Amino acid sequence: RMADEALFQFLHNELIQYVYRSAEQGEMENGRCITRLENMGFRVGQGLIERFTKDTARFKDELDVMKFICKDFWTSVFKKQIDNLRTNHQGIYVLQDNKFRLLAQMSGGKQYLEHAPKYLAFSCGLVRGGLSNLGVKSIVTAEVSAMPACKCLFIYA
Amino acid sequence: MTVHNLYLFDRNGACLHYSEWNRKKQAGISKDEEYKLMYGMLFSIRSFVNKMSPLDMKDGFLTFQTSKYKLHYYETPSQIKRSFCILFRRESCLVTLHCPVTPIYVEYVVKNPLCSMSEAIQSDLFCSKLDSFVRGLPFFSARAG
Repeated sequence: RMADEALFQFLHNELIQYVYRSAEQGEMENGRCITRLENMGFRVGQGLIERFTKDTARFKDELDVMKFICKDFWTSVFKKQIDNLRTNHQGIYVLQDNKFRLLAQMSGGKQYLEHAPKYLAFSCGLVRGGLSNLGVKSIVTAEVSAMPACKCLFIYA
Repeated sequence: MTVHNLYLFDRNGACLHYSEWNRKKQAGISKDEEYKLMYGMLFSIRSFVNKMSPLDMKDGFLTFQTSKYKLHYYETPSQIKRSFCILFRRESCLVTLHCPVTPIYVEYVVKNPLCSMSEAIQSDLFCSKLDSFVRGLPFFSARAG
């Protein structure tokens, strides 16, 4: 099981380097790379959620869906529980993970902070894809002020 | 008994990382020259030991010892070689040192996509994790004997 995690991490890191390298050669701007990574995550998330929910009962409302994403889905994908979840009860949720798995090896604070968004794009897409297949259209973004903690913002459309 | 310093070299002799904890005397030459000297010595001793061995050897050069300190050398099958300078003590502490630096290196350098494996390590996280690890070793003491 530990080997799986390492495999995904290496692959994920290389994916990002690849997208950026191809962008340099094809003259694509930075923003398009992030979008590309997010879209890849989206499709993966769609598939993953089908797999995770094939034996689960229906969700009764939006809050139930969020609970599933934040507990079961997040824990299965990122191997740990989230640390905090807040909402304004009007479609905006803020999830906090103090030791995000994909950033934990990068830095313990501000070093490499400017690169963090690249390494979060795929995961944002992943969650957005998961929500999408559960019938929830959303916008998912992430922000990092000090690694490895990150905040994930969900805005339900 | 304590840990004095640690050098991490790659396969080509470039120094990837250097840390010191209790070094009372400097070598009197620039850091670059010092790294070259250390690597050159390790390289020479390794080939000398392999060549002059009267028996078939598995690991080869492991450590050398002076009246004041002992140097431990550890080499991985892949790119990285590392050597430590440690104060002399009767028991060999090599066994405890074999495992530890590799996991730290793998976790915080290899898994960090922003760290190139062929350049000097710049990750602050790696440095701080390595530092806490060494300070946590049972035979580490903040004052050199």
